[in-house]
Amino acid sequence: MAKSFPEEVLEHVFSFITSDSDRNAVSLVCKSWYEIERWCRKRVFVGNCYAVSPRILTRRFPEVRSVEIKGKPHFADFNLVPEGWGGCVYPWISAMAGAYPWLEEIRLKRMVVSDEALELISTSFCNFKVLVLSSCEGFSTDGLASIAANCRKLRELDLRESEVDDLSGHWLSHFPDTWTSLVSLNIACLGSEVSFSALERLVARSPNLRTLRLNRAVSLEKLHNLLCRAPQLVEFGTGAYSSELRPDVFSNLAGAFSGCKQLKGLSGFWDLVPAYLPAIYLTCSGLTSLNLSYATIQSPDLVKLVSQCRNLQRLWVLDYIEDIGLDALAASCKDLQELRVFPSDPYVVDPNVSLTERGLVAVSEGCPKLQSVLYFCRQMSNAALVAIARNRPNLVCFRLCIIEPRAPDYLTLEPLDAGFGAIVEHCKELRRLSLSGLLTDRVFEYIGTRGRKLEMLSIAFAGDSDLGLHHVLSGCESLRKLEIRDCPFGDKALLANAAKLETMRSLWMSSCSVSFGACKLLGQKLPRLNVEVIDERGSPYSRPESCLVEKLYIYRTVAGPRIDMPPFVWTIDEDAALR
Amino acid sequence: MELQLGLALPSVPLSKGFDLNSCGYEAKEVLGGFDSILDCNVEKSSEEKKRSFDEAFDVQSVQVPETLPLLVWNQQTEHNYPENSSSSITRSDEEEEEDGIIGWPPIKYQRKKLCHGSLIRDANCWTVGNGESGGGGDGGHSRRSNSTYVKVKMEGVTIARKVDLSLHHSYQTLTHTLVGMFGRCQEDVKAYKLTYQDNDGDWLLAGDVPWGTFIRSVQRLNVLNNGG
Repeated sequence: MAKSFPEEVLEHVFSFITSDSDRNAVSLVCKSWYEIERWCRKRVFVGNCYAVSPRILTRRFPEVRSVEIKGKPHFADFNLVPEGWGGCVYPWISAMAGAYPWLEEIRLKRMVVSDEALELISTSFCNFKVLVLSSCEGFSTDGLASIAANCRKLRELDLRESEVDDLSGHWLSHFPDTWTSLVSLNIACLGSEVSFSALERLVARSPNLRTLRLNRAVSLEKLHNLLCRAPQLVEFGTGAYSSELRPDVFSNLAGAFSGCKQLKGLSGFWDLVPAYLPAIYLTCSGLTSLNLSYATIQSPDLVKLVSQCRNLQRLWVLDYIEDIGLDALAASCKDLQELRVFPSDPYVVDPNVSLTERGLVAVSEGCPKLQSVLYFCRQMSNAALVAIARNRPNLVCFRLCIIEPRAPDYLTLEPLDAGFGAIVEHCKELRRLSLSGLLTDRVFEYIGTRGRKLEMLSIAFAGDSDLGLHHVLSGCESLRKLEIRDCPFGDKALLANAAKLETMRSLWMSSCSVSFGACKLLGQKLPRLNVEVIDERGSPYSRPESCLVEKLYIYRTVAGPRIDMPPFVWTIDEDAALR
Repeated sequence: MELQLGLALPSVPLSKGFDLNSCGYEAKEVLGGFDSILDCNVEKSSEEKKRSFDEAFDVQSVQVPETLPLLVWNQQTEHNYPENSSSSITRSDEEEEEDGIIGWPPIKYQRKKLCHGSLIRDANCWTVGNGESGGGGDGGHSRRSNSTYVKVKMEGVTIARKVDLSLHHSYQTLTHTLVGMFGRCQEDVKAYKLTYQDNDGDWLLAGDVPWGTFIRSVQRLNVLNNGG
């Protein structure tokens, strides 16, 4: 069939294909589909900013309207990536400023965003609508002021957990009075107080406002002013939720909350004072998402609250909820899909609350739709893990952090291999897994053979030998991201499975047993990988090759070695042998 | 060093195993993932779809650096840990990093700031010597065997602290410091007794052995109320 569908028809068909992986598959069918697809791709996701260059992106996809880029490896969240490592967004903004004048959305995660970058964004894209900066850093409120002042069509400004150099709250006042298109504003990570009257006026003139997440500096007494002006809110994050108990404040607040009939999600609640909790009771039956992870209230108050949230799908909470609270959760919230329990006092061995493995088992029994778990606790047993696995084969994400490194099954003192083995055996859809506790190479054998859909695996203080790493790298067909710290994994497993690394997005290994010699070998022989050695002790070339590297970050790339490396990062490439 | 990197052809028999102690592990075909936008080159992609084990290193011909033992790892030795990994601190000065395990437990910065424990300057990280020795094998292995910080608990106080033993040369100064650390009046030193856990896991009364012996064997400390 020499002539098939006209291009326009194909393009129209492709417009219904939105997922990145489907789009990528489409582009591989034949040359003409590749061409048609690339001209009509509107949204691009770059999982690793160094895997591809801005130029390659803009050359291949000329009509992009929405871009999402991720920078630093995940372990940067826990201070394992030194300051200045990289992930600077400016080159991307600069390239896109020229290539994509119609760009509407930029979403960045773990990238370094300067005020200059923000200013460039604000002046380069006349249709700019969405800016999401998740766990980013490097900018100040001055940069935000540029965005506010220049982006006339802005709908969404979300600063999710970014670290902002908070010079003042004045930036918010730069939004012009004529600007009424705000749909979503998240400033929860900001420290300083924004002008409340500016905020009030902003909310009042934004009829499409759906999401508003305030920062801690907004006091409780003022919340009702905002809520009354935005009864259409779907997601709301309070500021500090504390005040001396005053009946007028309470009744204003309760009234305002009850006026928000569409409210589905609540967050914020810093410094929560239990006396003010009942103000939200009327909203509870409609809530699907509740983030109480900054609320330092005890179990009885949490139980009272959570028992009223019959439609809850997502709960983030501190371990103050205790086993007893999780029992109540399991009994009341049958639609629960995601549970995250954070530690209130993580740096002390002895438990300060009565939260154990029993709470998680109870939730796994009582909540049939539970698919995503993040749980910090101080004791775990194989029996509990097996029970959880059997109860919830529909788990998709299971992240367990037993606070003490290498803690064994507290009942039998055995490693937790069997428990985690049961998780990967029963939970056939598992895509993300974080391990902790005492683990031998055996657990990696289970994971390698049974974790067929596993895409992301985090390992710390586990394993006995290279065999452990070999099991993972030679199995786990779907593995994309592997991050390892403080494990006795070394050269043999890496070298024997070098080809696997090209099928993954990235591998991070820190405080393991990989020698510089092995890194050189990998870097020289696999040109499609960037093998980055991060070592703050000075050049690894100045030491014998058998010396171990501090940190290793290996990722596939078509952009070649980085050119923006700080002095403590070395990319091993083909020329390494010549040095 | 010559290494053959063959292009993966599915018909090539995969006979190379990972020969570690002849465990008989079979090599597995590693399927290339084409789920990324990196695949710009359409023609090559069908060949690249399957990457076989052959493309990895032929284990027999790799020259494993001689310093690595070929066989099973047993104990971790100090040699295997980087000498100085606590220097890579990105966040500040408030955190006392020298003896702590960085980034553990894995909690983001914003949450750490709000943790109960962060009220105390030097409790912002998991410290070595904090736990029991993990049960099996070399759990609780100390990354820094010359650490002079030990954990101290006072009876009736939930939050534990750390004390740097190298700053002290006698039981008196140590007890005074500990009492002060927990906010008690220095004059009341006599109201407390100091016990410690030694290398063998036994709890002993401090003061019975010479200071030097004590220093070498102490693992953690407990400050108890002195009866009466």
